[in-house]
Amino acid sequence: MDYVWLIPVLPLLSFLIILFTRPVIYKKAGIVGTLFSGAAFVGALIVLFSHLENGNFLVEGNWLSIHALTLTVGLEVNPLNALMLVIVTLVSFLVHMYSMGYMADDERFATFFGYLGLFTFSMTALVLSPNLLQIYFFWELVGVCSFLLVGFYFYKPEAKAAAKKAFIVTRIGDVGLLVAIFLLYWQTGTLELDGIFSAAEAGELTPAMITLTAILIFVGAVGKSGQFPLHTWLPDAMEGPTPVSALIHAATMVAAGVYLVAVMFPLFTASDVAMMTVAITGGVTAVFAATIALVQNDIKRILAYSTISQLGYMMLALGTAGYTAAVFHLTTHAFFKALLFLAAGSVIHAAHEQNIHKLGGLGKKLKGTALLFLIGSLAIAGFPLFSGFFSKDEILASAFSNGSYILFGLALLTAFLTAFYMFRLYFLVFSGERERNEEIKESPRTMLIPMMVLAVLAVFSGFIHTHWFGTFLGDWLETTPYPVLFSSIDAPYWIMILASALSIGGIALAWFMYAKQSIPRNWLYGSMKEVHHVLYRKYYVDELYRTVFVKGLYALSYFWSYFDRFIVEGGATAVKGLVSQLGKTGVKVQSGQVQTYSAVAFSGLVLVLLVIAALGGYFQ
Amino acid sequence: MNMSTLMQYNWGSMMPEFIILITAVTISLIDLFTTKKSRTMLVWFALAGVGLATIFLFLQLDDGVVSILGETFRLDSFAKAFKLLMLIGTGFVLLLGLPSKDDLKDVKGEYYYLILTALLGGMMMASSADLITLFVGLELLSLSSYILVGIRKTNHFANEAAFKYLVNGGIATAITLFGMSYVYGLSGETNLYAIQSAMASDIVSDNRFLIVFAFLMIFIGLIFKIAAAPFHMWAPDVYQGAETPVTAFLSVVSKTAGFAIILRLLMVPFVFAPGTGKVITPEGMSFESLLVSVRPYIAIIAILTIIIGNIIALRQLNAKRLFAYSSIAHAGYILIPFAALSEMVFEVVWFYLLAYLLMNLGAFAVIHAVTKEREDVTIASFAGMFRRSPFIAITMTIFLLSLAGIPFTAGFIGKFEIFMSALGTEPKRYFLTAAMLLGTVLSYVYYFGLFVQMYFRPSDKKPITISAGVTAVLTITATATLVIGIFPSTALTFIQEYFQFMEVFNQ
Repeated sequence: MDYVWLIPVLPLLSFLIILFTRPVIYKKAGIVGTLFSGAAFVGALIVLFSHLENGNFLVEGNWLSIHALTLTVGLEVNPLNALMLVIVTLVSFLVHMYSMGYMADDERFATFFGYLGLFTFSMTALVLSPNLLQIYFFWELVGVCSFLLVGFYFYKPEAKAAAKKAFIVTRIGDVGLLVAIFLLYWQTGTLELDGIFSAAEAGELTPAMITLTAILIFVGAVGKSGQFPLHTWLPDAMEGPTPVSALIHAATMVAAGVYLVAVMFPLFTASDVAMMTVAITGGVTAVFAATIALVQNDIKRILAYSTISQLGYMMLALGTAGYTAAVFHLTTHAFFKALLFLAAGSVIHAAHEQNIHKLGGLGKKLKGTALLFLIGSLAIAGFPLFSGFFSKDEILASAFSNGSYILFGLALLTAFLTAFYMFRLYFLVFSGERERNEEIKESPRTMLIPMMVLAVLAVFSGFIHTHWFGTFLGDWLETTPYPVLFSSIDAPYWIMILASALSIGGIALAWFMYAKQSIPRNWLYGSMKEVHHVLYRKYYVDELYRTVFVKGLYALSYFWSYFDRFIVEGGATAVKGLVSQLGKTGVKVQSGQVQTYSAVAFSGLVLVLLVIAALGGYFQ
Repeated sequence: MNMSTLMQYNWGSMMPEFIILITAVTISLIDLFTTKKSRTMLVWFALAGVGLATIFLFLQLDDGVVSILGETFRLDSFAKAFKLLMLIGTGFVLLLGLPSKDDLKDVKGEYYYLILTALLGGMMMASSADLITLFVGLELLSLSSYILVGIRKTNHFANEAAFKYLVNGGIATAITLFGMSYVYGLSGETNLYAIQSAMASDIVSDNRFLIVFAFLMIFIGLIFKIAAAPFHMWAPDVYQGAETPVTAFLSVVSKTAGFAIILRLLMVPFVFAPGTGKVITPEGMSFESLLVSVRPYIAIIAILTIIIGNIIALRQLNAKRLFAYSSIAHAGYILIPFAALSEMVFEVVWFYLLAYLLMNLGAFAVIHAVTKEREDVTIASFAGMFRRSPFIAITMTIFLLSLAGIPFTAGFIGKFEIFMSALGTEPKRYFLTAAMLLGTVLSYVYYFGLFVQMYFRPSDKKPITISAGVTAVLTITATATLVIGIFPSTALTFIQEYFQFMEVFNQ
């Protein structure tokens, strides 16, 4: 445990080594990055096991203490972040390995691995932070890294725009987080999580303040985790290289939002309004994104909307006091979503095409990839005994036992939609026959092995927490050092059966429509053209934002530009003129004449003495 | 005083001073009896002396207050802390002078022993408890510096600089002495602690105006050493005319000594002195303390210094003049805790001087490295630095970021402490922090202008080779700037552990 600091330092070293030796090592950068992230993963495993044995760990030191102000830095290991460490380092390690194959032909191969190292460093360091200052610092660093990686193909205008959008939209959320941090420091005088939670428990914060800060923190999480209405950046972020999408969607960037809410959970549970906000946002996002995913045609975009939807699921779980359920789903989702993205990457790598209608019949050519993609799809669809099944069931149970039946209904609907759109994707890409001119080759082993590892986890990771033979994860999470509220879940068995039925129903419908084609593909489309259109255009949110914000901003900016030109600039010119005039005068006085210098000094002295004589009453 | 009392003194407490003195004398003798040989040996000798003195200073860190020679020499935490800064600063300056550049070609051995005597003067200023010895220390530092500035005898600029420095210094000294004569006249004492007790007497409280006059005269005379307004005008000319290592010495070591004497000579005797303002309390009318009365004047001088330094720096093209004005501005920042009269004043000033030592010496080391063939170093000399010498460009970046007060550098922590010290008093001194913020923002313009030169301007000049001494100075100062910036508690705990600054008030 004393060496836990090595886990973020290893990827940082990888970044620095690659940065400074980039021209020399070039192709070896992949091996360097993979080795270092592999070592970090081993470290994370050791930390996990030593946590199981020794319990929580916290080391803190004063970073700066001046007067009453004390800022600490430290590292913390508790069940939540030990688990996150393993997820982050594992996915990062596999993505590193996969990228050696996927990015092999890229000119900026070494730079890519450098960025991956920095990204892993920021996320692991974020996870280990025991105070809000550190969390905020690494939170922003994670944002910077995703900006760099999403815009990795910066010569493509779409990539550049997507990177900018990702950065700006998440920044909107970050403002909320920053304001919350200031408020909490102002109210409690500390930035340590421990101190904040005990202050909240002791009633030092008014209920209104708790609600306000919790919601502001949630705004930060909404931005990072791509929740409605700040979700627009996430699908566009698909412009980045596919391994990066896997990393962003499974373990780092978007997981940070859910992680933040989980970390601050004691604050949220103290406010019903905040919990309600989280639950409703999550539930609405889940359905909203799932409906959009139904009609998209780009393989990566469908996955992106499924991520938004699944993250909504996690938020829904948190909002209905299902801490364990959310963390559980975060874990299983990390595995199957990383698997799906890597498998999609494998398809793109082989077929150089992302439109699912132009793909098809790939099942025969890419047997391995098809099987792996199938496993991922079954897991995300919640097919019985796959990992997604257990974690989704936990969320449904938590929503149900919390008594929010509308949200429960939304979650069920989402489960059905998820199964449907995932298998629409699967059947369109892999089933059937299609003539091709070019030869399609299966991806190299460096790409397949990471997917196999993830596939195993996507199948079996659900067994770490089931009500059948052991809620290991839940029991372990309860050893957290913070006052987290664990609601007892008491849900009837029919939920599980219903969920399985919905999942299988969705898969079956997709099979009939897209594989067997016994139901015409457009049976719904014909009657509901408008709905399809709305969904296809993603509820026109982008257009709405463009009209309201961008156009509105244009109008506003005209006003401001005139304001700026005549008033601000005028003022600035005046200030600048004043400063430069003062400077000129100063330079002029600085004549080089020693008499002037003495005269200035003397007059200064005389002036001071005269003033004190006058004010001090000497002449009275 | 007979021989036995003389022997009873704890002479060990003066060990660092003795070592510097002996080294200086030895160097002057060696210089006298050897012919024009390589001066390398002398540098190493001087460096060894400074190193040894630093070691002895470290050995004294745990000692309590020692007062010898009829209470004139006093070794307390305050003295140790400031002597430490001066020794480190002088060590760096000596390293810069490692002969490999040609700009010290016609300098004789006197360069080395004059630096050491100047250092000795500075150390006495930090460690004296008597007006007489303080003044002698001040003069020793000043006289040595005058010669150091003019050490290039044939150089026109150096001569002019030395002349200006001497004349201005003379005026400043006269003003200080005049102020001191009032203090002596009113208290009848030269010992600072005796004066402190005498301030309670009726003569003093009947002549409150005179004592305030005396305070302000001494203060204005002394700010000459730290180059604060209105006694700042010599600095640009002198910094420009002197050799760069001498400039570095003036801007760092001499300034540290100046702050040492200001703090000791003005805080200790006057801490309980009565001021001019009346305070009406339920018990009746009384007078506020002197330090409260003079606070507005110190504050105005601090603000003026910050503004003048930063504004005129905007228009400088010569690098040394630019840094002269920048160091004027920094003196203004350091006056803020003094003007705010925070109880943290000693810690804050010391910490800022440490950060300032690192970043400013580093910047002057860079200027020294860039100096070629006597040609003036201008802003344009930095063009394309990143291509010509990435090492210089990166270290200079660190120094500039620190001078501008960007987080994760020592300069940021220093500024932050000053900030907190001004806001930690009641009432909070918002206007002082506002002046400091304004100055800092102005300073971005000229510091970041250098970045533009270093990274974005092309240059066809050849790569720069730098001497081992400069490399050492750059490496150490840049590393320390970052380490203190990232782990400020290392330096802060060191202060708390070894320096009990409040000792300075104890008899």
